[in-house]
Amino acid sequence: MSEIKILSQYYDKPEFQFLEGYKQNGGYQMLEKALKMQPQEIIDMVKASGLRGRGGAGFPTGMKWGFLPKNGEPRYLLCNADEGEPGTFKDRMMMEKAPHQLVESMIISSFAVDSHKSYIYVRGEYYKSISILNKAIEEAYKAGYLGKNILGSGFDHDMDVYQGAGAYICGEETGLISSLEGKKGQPKLKPPFPAIQGYLKKPTIVNNVETLASVIPILRDGVQEYRKYGTEKSPGTKLFSLSGNVKKPGNYELALGYPLKSLIYDLGGGIKAGRSLKAVIPGGSSAPVLTAEEVEKANLDYESLSGLGSMLGSGAVIVIDDSQCMVDCLANLTHFYHHESCGQCTPCREGTGWLDKITHRILAGQGRMSDIELLVKVADNMKGRTICALSDAAALPVLSFVTKFRHEFEYYVKEGRSLVKGKVLYHGQMHH
Amino acid sequence: MVKCTINGQTVEVKEGTTVIEAMHQEGMKIAHYCWHPGLSVAGVCRLCMVEIQGNPRLQVGCNTVVTEGMNINNTSDKVKEAVQWGLDFHLINHPLDCPVCDQAGECGLQDQYMEFGQYDSIMAEPKQKKHKVVDLGPTVVLDSERCILCSRCVRFTTEVSKTNELGIFNRGDHSEVGTHEGTSLDNNYSLNTVDICPVGALTSKDFRFKQRVWYLKEQKTICNGCSTGCNIKVYFNTEGFFRVKPVYNEQVNGYWMCDQGRDIYKFANKQARYQGGKRYNQGQWVTDEAPGHVAMQASKVIAQNKNKTALILTGQYTVEEYEIAIQSFLASVGNSIGIKNIYHWNSHISEINNFDGTLLRGDRNPNTKGLIKVFEKYNIQTQVEDLEKAIEAGQIDTAIVAGPEDLTYYKQSNQKMVSLISALKNIVWLQSTINPELEEKVKSNLFIIPMKSYLEKSGTFINFNGIEQSFRAVTTVMSQALTLGQAIGLMMGDQKAVLPAAETAADHAVKPFVQESRPASQVMAEERKKNEFIYKRGATNER
Repeated sequence: MSEIKILSQYYDKPEFQFLEGYKQNGGYQMLEKALKMQPQEIIDMVKASGLRGRGGAGFPTGMKWGFLPKNGEPRYLLCNADEGEPGTFKDRMMMEKAPHQLVESMIISSFAVDSHKSYIYVRGEYYKSISILNKAIEEAYKAGYLGKNILGSGFDHDMDVYQGAGAYICGEETGLISSLEGKKGQPKLKPPFPAIQGYLKKPTIVNNVETLASVIPILRDGVQEYRKYGTEKSPGTKLFSLSGNVKKPGNYELALGYPLKSLIYDLGGGIKAGRSLKAVIPGGSSAPVLTAEEVEKANLDYESLSGLGSMLGSGAVIVIDDSQCMVDCLANLTHFYHHESCGQCTPCREGTGWLDKITHRILAGQGRMSDIELLVKVADNMKGRTICALSDAAALPVLSFVTKFRHEFEYYVKEGRSLVKGKVLYHGQMHH
Repeated sequence: MVKCTINGQTVEVKEGTTVIEAMHQEGMKIAHYCWHPGLSVAGVCRLCMVEIQGNPRLQVGCNTVVTEGMNINNTSDKVKEAVQWGLDFHLINHPLDCPVCDQAGECGLQDQYMEFGQYDSIMAEPKQKKHKVVDLGPTVVLDSERCILCSRCVRFTTEVSKTNELGIFNRGDHSEVGTHEGTSLDNNYSLNTVDICPVGALTSKDFRFKQRVWYLKEQKTICNGCSTGCNIKVYFNTEGFFRVKPVYNEQVNGYWMCDQGRDIYKFANKQARYQGGKRYNQGQWVTDEAPGHVAMQASKVIAQNKNKTALILTGQYTVEEYEIAIQSFLASVGNSIGIKNIYHWNSHISEINNFDGTLLRGDRNPNTKGLIKVFEKYNIQTQVEDLEKAIEAGQIDTAIVAGPEDLTYYKQSNQKMVSLISALKNIVWLQSTINPELEEKVKSNLFIIPMKSYLEKSGTFINFNGIEQSFRAVTTVMSQALTLGQAIGLMMGDQKAVLPAAETAADHAVKPFVQESRPASQVMAEERKKNEFIYKRGATNER
């Protein structure tokens, strides 16, 4: 089994980055086609394609578009390019290799949902993506793909790039909206949902880079052809960011339902010689970890991974081999969520810090047996109790790490050192 | 109307009501910090968790609108556990300094812990260190470690005072409330943030460390700081009045009051007031006389100059007092001359319709409308300008002035009035607070009669909007001080007015509580008596 390159077909051509090269490879043809269609036809096609949000939540895109109220208010389309989920680097590649693909798909999607203004909210650290996107938008304006009366269709659309300030929480759609509004990047209380009251309190659609880009192949090849790949509930292809202890890390475009094991061993070249697979985080750092046995059964689609108690998430596959200490890995994650919690909701603000402090105390060899149970309890009570999903994202790794690799935690507490590395892994000050 | 079931009880609420509002309406208990009925919903403390049938996830009561047939429960084990953990998350980094915290005794965390918590802490990690004693502005001090980041104060400055000085800075458990660069919490509503702070994070510079709240009594009354007439609570004990807080009244002040109104208690405390009556005659001061005695002395002078006596009234007294005073005055002077010699003194005539957009009004008198109403009843049409003309024309040689309680806003006007009447033969000045201007400038025959402050009497104020608000005496500070009705009655020889039934019945219902100074020997004797009781009880137990 190999890659199915539908989105990333021309990514290895350097000229694909520019308007000229993009057009030579079929670029902006779908826009011309779309502008001759009825907007509702496009929405219906996206609905029928079964396309699900590629940012992490996997919400059906067509359904999301359908939530927009029909009240004549101005609408906004926001592209979520705040790729912050640890392990994920697919959007960056898409923006750098094929900026026009995103621009074109955003114009089409805007036409479908009747939006005359869209923003691409790009993660602050992605300087290169931002400059490439800005250039692409400039080219598109010059070529008449953006601005007034696009290609004589009477449809007007403006597009801008907005640089985030590097906060993980701004990848949450309402956090992104707050940030775009010029406020502190904090998720908003729902309801009202963005489709009803989003950016500037107007109906707003927020979609991931890859989700939007997928609209082009759906239009080009038709629903039937698009659904040829993937499974019944997870149609199409998706980009997976493979990282960690594998020989060939990188982005791979695969039909959904692809066996996780094949990605690691066939495409990824397997684990370093003399090492064996211990665990895999299949969907970005927030996804519960899978053991090596679970990896055997796992397929890369929404239903298979949720059946294993994990999730497809953003498609970031992080491979952990047997040289890694799971306590150390978890401490790394808890530190990340402690650092990134926006601090709005109490369970998350206080809980992420608490988890971080406990894991680092264990890592410093000062853990107590009761800490393991406490980790579970704290995580359990952070889950599902907050405005956004960051609290859950912080709790799920803790629950899965502690449950599935409990022996490593117990050993660390009892012996005061790592089972794998045989020494104390943390000597620093307890952070606060 | 929408029907729902809360904790097994059928409840009917208006459409659009949230679960937390419905539960408050029914008097049911629900834990919460960030929700405040006067502010927008933030939904961040995550304490008002409720279980809604058919929804596996707990929902927050503050952002869940009640729908027809909704089955809500907040007494299940699932909710209880969530609330307990919610509390624990609030407490893990909260300093355990209740014994030295000014909020102790009226603290949301303490209350909720007693109601929903009551367990031992399982937190073994070092607590988060944040800024202590942050000077937010001229009125408020912040202790960031105590702050639970409920964002009430921030929402208050955005939504109510609309001054936007406060924000939450940094993120995660480093978050701290603070003022934006170049600003400080300096607005006329700043102290409301202290009221709505559920913990001891925001404290009032005026009140902090003065009293433990459990040593204070509170009583509802009306603010006399301006013509809005905010509903307030006054906190006091035997040492005096200590602070003022607003009381909810939808029609008048909502949940708030202004900072200037919070100072009114100071003018009722003994330090600001005439301790006894005073007389000045031919270069001689006679001080520390009983107020009633001074009034009797004044009555002799007035009796000789009845037709040339002016009665000058400020809008700072109650409707009931105006009635008795004017009745007594007219009965003694005679109606036809009398009504021409009664004047309305308002310091802020030109600013009377000013309004700051929130609560404070340009007319700093609580009862201008009440005075006007009584004037209309007795057909009194004279203006202050008429007084000047009458004095110029030599028609007045004696003035009875019912002065303002608080001279802060009457300062200039007071100077004018004093110089206008200083040349008159006799001046009877009624006031509760000390008036140095008067004592310095007036060289003629002067009588100063100490008045009761409005916190010591019952009565009615009519606010700018015509809303009549009656209030009861809070306590007694100076038992000998007179009401306006009593003083005028005594001076006009109207014995009936001295103790009018309407005033006394309510006054006597409230026993003097703020004590006048007691000799040390008496205090010690009382303490000994208390201790005797304790020793005796101990002895009984031993047997």
